[in-house]
Amino acid sequence: MGLQFFINAILLGGLYALMGLGFSLQWGISGIINLAYGAMVVLGSYLSLVLFNTLRIDPFISLIFTGTILFFLGAFVYRFSLQPLLKGGIVFTLIITFAIRLIIENIILLVWSADYRTIRVGYAGSSIQAFNTFIPLTKFLTFIIAGILVYLTYLFMMNTKIGKGIQAVALDKEGALAVGVDDQRMYMINFAVGTALAGITGSLWASIYSFSPHVIGVIIAKVFIIAILGGLGNIWGAAAGGILLGFAETSGATLLGSQWQEAIGLVIMVMVLLFRPHGLIGRKFFG
Amino acid sequence: MNITEKKINMNKTIILILALILLFILLPRFISGYYVRIFTAIFMYATIAQGFNLMSGYMGYLPFGNVMFFGIGAYVTAIFMGKGFSFVCALLLAALAAVLTSIILGFPVLRLRGHYFAIATIGMNGAIMSVVQNTTEITGGAMGTTLPIIPRAPGIVYNYFYLAMFTLMVVTTMVMYLVIHSKFGYAVRSIKANEEAANSMGINTTYTKITAWAITALFTSIAGALYGYWMSFIAPEEVFDVMISVNTIVMMLIGGAGTILGPIIGAFIIETVSEFAWSGFMEYHLAALGIATIIIVFFVPRGVIGSLGSMIRNKKMALPKKVGESNG
Amino acid sequence: MDNRVILDIQSVSKHFGALKAVDQVSFWVEQGEIVGLIGPNGAGKTTLTNIVTGDLKKTEGQVFFKGQNISHLQPFQIARIGLTRTYQIVKPLEGMTVEENVLVGSLFGRVDRKNDLNKGRKKTREIMELVGLDKKKDLLVSDITLPDLKRMEFARVLAMDPEVVFLDEVMAGLNPSEVEEASELIKRIREDKRLTIIYIEHIMKAVMGISDRIIVLHHGKKICEGSPKEVCDNPAVIEAYLGKRYAKEMINK
Repeated sequence: MGLQFFINAILLGGLYALMGLGFSLQWGISGIINLAYGAMVVLGSYLSLVLFNTLRIDPFISLIFTGTILFFLGAFVYRFSLQPLLKGGIVFTLIITFAIRLIIENIILLVWSADYRTIRVGYAGSSIQAFNTFIPLTKFLTFIIAGILVYLTYLFMMNTKIGKGIQAVALDKEGALAVGVDDQRMYMINFAVGTALAGITGSLWASIYSFSPHVIGVIIAKVFIIAILGGLGNIWGAAAGGILLGFAETSGATLLGSQWQEAIGLVIMVMVLLFRPHGLIGRKFFG
Repeated sequence: MNITEKKINMNKTIILILALILLFILLPRFISGYYVRIFTAIFMYATIAQGFNLMSGYMGYLPFGNVMFFGIGAYVTAIFMGKGFSFVCALLLAALAAVLTSIILGFPVLRLRGHYFAIATIGMNGAIMSVVQNTTEITGGAMGTTLPIIPRAPGIVYNYFYLAMFTLMVVTTMVMYLVIHSKFGYAVRSIKANEEAANSMGINTTYTKITAWAITALFTSIAGALYGYWMSFIAPEEVFDVMISVNTIVMMLIGGAGTILGPIIGAFIIETVSEFAWSGFMEYHLAALGIATIIIVFFVPRGVIGSLGSMIRNKKMALPKKVGESNG
Repeated sequence: MDNRVILDIQSVSKHFGALKAVDQVSFWVEQGEIVGLIGPNGAGKTTLTNIVTGDLKKTEGQVFFKGQNISHLQPFQIARIGLTRTYQIVKPLEGMTVEENVLVGSLFGRVDRKNDLNKGRKKTREIMELVGLDKKKDLLVSDITLPDLKRMEFARVLAMDPEVVFLDEVMAGLNPSEVEEASELIKRIREDKRLTIIYIEHIMKAVMGISDRIIVLHHGKKICEGSPKEVCDNPAVIEAYLGKRYAKEMINK
């Protein structure tokens, strides 16, 4: 297990960290298991693809657009299809988000067909070479941006008025309501942040890997694992969960062969659920 | 309503149900093979939906990954028939395997709260599917496996499975009815109502939850076994497909969760809509299904039977009392 | 009435990290008594109750019920042998009717395992009449008032045929006349059913009037035990409820 293995694992883990973060926030704070999350990530990929093909915008730039578009999409979805049905419980929210996934998936199929796509930026082939290892440039940039965004999310939650409002309803809803915080608005914004992160992940994914509607199911499976590993709603937990999954998959692929890659993640998730449902990192928020 | 009136109503209902059963038994003679197959699918989905109804509609635990029992039913049947066992023997073994799985997995997993439980079951389904995909010598792996073909004319074979699935659906529904109206049924419903209070009242919630899950595993696996024999060919991605769970959950919702007939009505409605969407809107069928689902969930949140139940109840409450008759 | 010790709590403690919610509390209860358990907010009364009923794991100590060590039993097992409780914040079975709520108690409580629906329904009807809820039996729990919800929870517990009942702040949220009614009901039923009651309460008037004996908790410790009059005059109790200054004033008078 040399340095190259370590590099590969951590680069993958970085992307996963960002990917799982949005889903974890939605589940942990807004209380919504968003089965459309995978579709939203992939939608982000396709949006970046369009911007790249038509306007030659680099995905690392267009992620600003995809993030914004997905933010408003998420707010819309939450406000008009989830919020009205919250009292129906988990059954309703699961079904609604699944229905939304179907709609997004169908739109993607109609517009772009099921063919695999990817974005080939000019510098796609280059890598950084250090200490006898290859660090692909696109993966490296992805890792840096993912890290920055995770940290920005943390800053947002801790230092902005809205972020603090979100933390307040998450930690003590009654108390927050008592001081006049609009809990549904906080849940909505939190949800929208989640979809924005999904969209950004999609843009980053598009620069490294190929994508198609088929990838939707793959992503959803992974974000479940990351969220549970890290503890729902826990920002650094999700980051750690992502890195852990990156390592698990990379070693699984090396040791057991790629067919077991999926199974390993699933087994880990089930084990964590059974023995440490609050996630490996522990308490719900920071600490 | 006095005792005599109640008895007459019940007799009426029983006669109606028997008449319907007779109708459905005779139906294949009058319709084409295409419709026979659609009805067979409806009966199968209704059975699976009844399973979700018991766990989620009545008990408040949503086993999203319940399709795992469908897959286990199909695969264990296939494996044993491949070794020369008769269908009935293989089916019994498949049901046994499913029930054992639900008991063994149930202990750790039913301790989990709602969301976690739902997701854990999906994880388990995925893990089991992975195992099936990768143990190629036993299961045929990702390429799938075959079951013996019945050496009779196709028309007769389709009718055979129509009747088998119909019987399964009727038996499942009857069992659900008996379960819900028994002492155990109160335990189940109390768990949904308030699990902590249920515990404090002397209900062994662990035992109740596991037993309920085992019942759903039993019927869902038999549906899977029949499905495998019906299709003569199964593949892991097909019989462990989460979409089966999703579809049957929506059926339960639209028919009315927490009602005995809801899953059956729901299966009829959704399967009809699905066929229509598939043949009419093939390119848009996913979106059509999605949009239809959202509309249904928005406008009929209690389902068809549930809404009827509410309406009847509200009417009862509003009726002026007859002289001398009390309301309780 | 037989003076057997029916409930024996020995040095029970519950620590939440550094916080000692219950600190070495010991006392026993004789069959047929009404024991008042009082103390200011946060004294540990509900925590102690939760430990006895199995809802919460203790850090140390033992609990004996009718001579049997119940420290490691599950809540449902403890309920089945005759030790029951009501909740400070009522926990009705949502979505079910009043009658069904009480019925569940009669089906799964300390009654013959061969409890069938008919026997259960009969018993339910009796209890509901006793408690005054028979006219409301078909109403959903979401449609009845708080006093009725409390009445229902009491009926539910009675339907379980218990020997010991922990009444956890049943008077919370009731107005004075409702408190009066509830006290009368409890006294009446205790006579009828030969129950042992541990009466956790805030409202002094209610406790003093009904209890044979009183136990006072403060900051998780037992600070006083005795008859209502003894407890009222105890300086530690006065201090706990009213503060050091008031206590000093009282003593100086």
